[in-house]
Amino acid sequence: MRTASMTSGSLQQQAVRWTLSVPVQATLFTSLCALTLWTVYFSTYPAAHNQTHSLRHHTLSVSCH
Amino acid sequence: MAKIKLVSLLSLVGLLGALGYGSVGRSQAVQPSVQLATEPPISQLLPFEADAEQLQKPVQLRLQALDATGKPLQNANIQIKLLTPPENPWLPTDFPIVEGTKLLDLAAIATQGQLQFQQMLPIRGEYQLQVEVTPTVANAFSPFQQTLTLPVAENSIKYRNFAILVVILLGVGFGGGWVIGGKQELQPGEIAPQRVRLLLSGTIVVAIAALLVVNISAELSHSHEHSHEHKHGDEAIAALPSSLNTQGLEVKLLGHHHATVGEPAELVVQAIDTKAGKPATDVVFDIKAKSLEAGWVAFAHQATPNNQGEFTWQQQFFDGAPHQVEVEVAPKPNAARQFAPFKVAQEIEVEGIEPPLRSRLLGLGYFVSILLVGLGLGLWVQQRRQPRSQLDSKALN
Repeated sequence: MRTASMTSGSLQQQAVRWTLSVPVQATLFTSLCALTLWTVYFSTYPAAHNQTHSLRHHTLSVSCH
Repeated sequence: MAKIKLVSLLSLVGLLGALGYGSVGRSQAVQPSVQLATEPPISQLLPFEADAEQLQKPVQLRLQALDATGKPLQNANIQIKLLTPPENPWLPTDFPIVEGTKLLDLAAIATQGQLQFQQMLPIRGEYQLQVEVTPTVANAFSPFQQTLTLPVAENSIKYRNFAILVVILLGVGFGGGWVIGGKQELQPGEIAPQRVRLLLSGTIVVAIAALLVVNISAELSHSHEHSHEHKHGDEAIAALPSSLNTQGLEVKLLGHHHATVGEPAELVVQAIDTKAGKPATDVVFDIKAKSLEAGWVAFAHQATPNNQGEFTWQQQFFDGAPHQVEVEVAPKPNAARQFAPFKVAQEIEVEGIEPPLRSRLLGLGYFVSILLVGLGLGLWVQQRRQPRSQLDSKALN
């Protein structure tokens, strides 16, 4: 019983350590920023496209339509 | 010695001058040519700016066919093909579907060797204007072809906005790297360090706020936009018919009523003298293709019909929004038959094509790379700070 709880505890600690490690945090942060950038500049979803249409046409390297 | 040098220099200048004169004279004597003039001048040309604050005007292009002696060619038939700049795989324009396509194709009878038209140029880059000049009277002169180039610089606003975005991305990346790379210590009862939780929460709140603003205002403007579109369309159709029989003339606007961005649409305007039952050739067609949403003119040309009473042209509608082709029919100034000018019009539905996934992913790749540079800088600065602060704390102990 004791060994089992110690194993689950260490696993939890490992998971927390891994989640909070710099590479995972940096990946999460970059992914969230990339998703926001995609929605604002590149999404073809009509609502997002129409709303950011002018910004897209006024920024170099962004293709609109 | 100085005199010899001076004489040699003068001889050289004289020789170069004679060679230059010879080459100019020879090029003029051998080949007829086409001269291109634009308004605004070529050095000031800018591409179409979508959602511009002020109504944009198309570029006016004037072609003059000249004979070998530099005089205007009489009774010429000028055919032009205007091609958009080639595809730019590493830095696409805002209309990538338009890159490397045909924008305009028309042929006109130029009695004084002059052809004039207005065209909105959609993207930056070097346009090609292929011109073919043939005589309307057999053997009046030898037909010839010439390709002219039309360089269009990018709008400076795009560079400015890109620079602002680069600064923002570097700042956001640096801030993220600074926080993530900082001391990661768990307080009792916490599942993540406070700083990381703050960073993630802050970024998520910004993302949610951005998506909310985008979606709510998009919903509001979408319904607003739809009512405008219907209004424009109804007015255009109700006010101007696509064919009209009046004052002894029947004028029809034929061709494609549905166009796709990237592909030229063929349009024909035809005038028939209903009294004589023959094609009418003593009229002038004043053609204008306008955007129905914003009112800017995409193409304009004053054309005269051929022997069949027709004028045919191909034009690409580069903006995926409804357009209207409007033709004002007026008598030629010196024609025997004079009549009150009238208009016909046709609404053109233009299907927009979404940009290729590759060009969008490329753009995202650039932005994320800049963000990663900032992130790397933030992490690097924190890494350099930490050993020092650890040493400082050790020294204090």
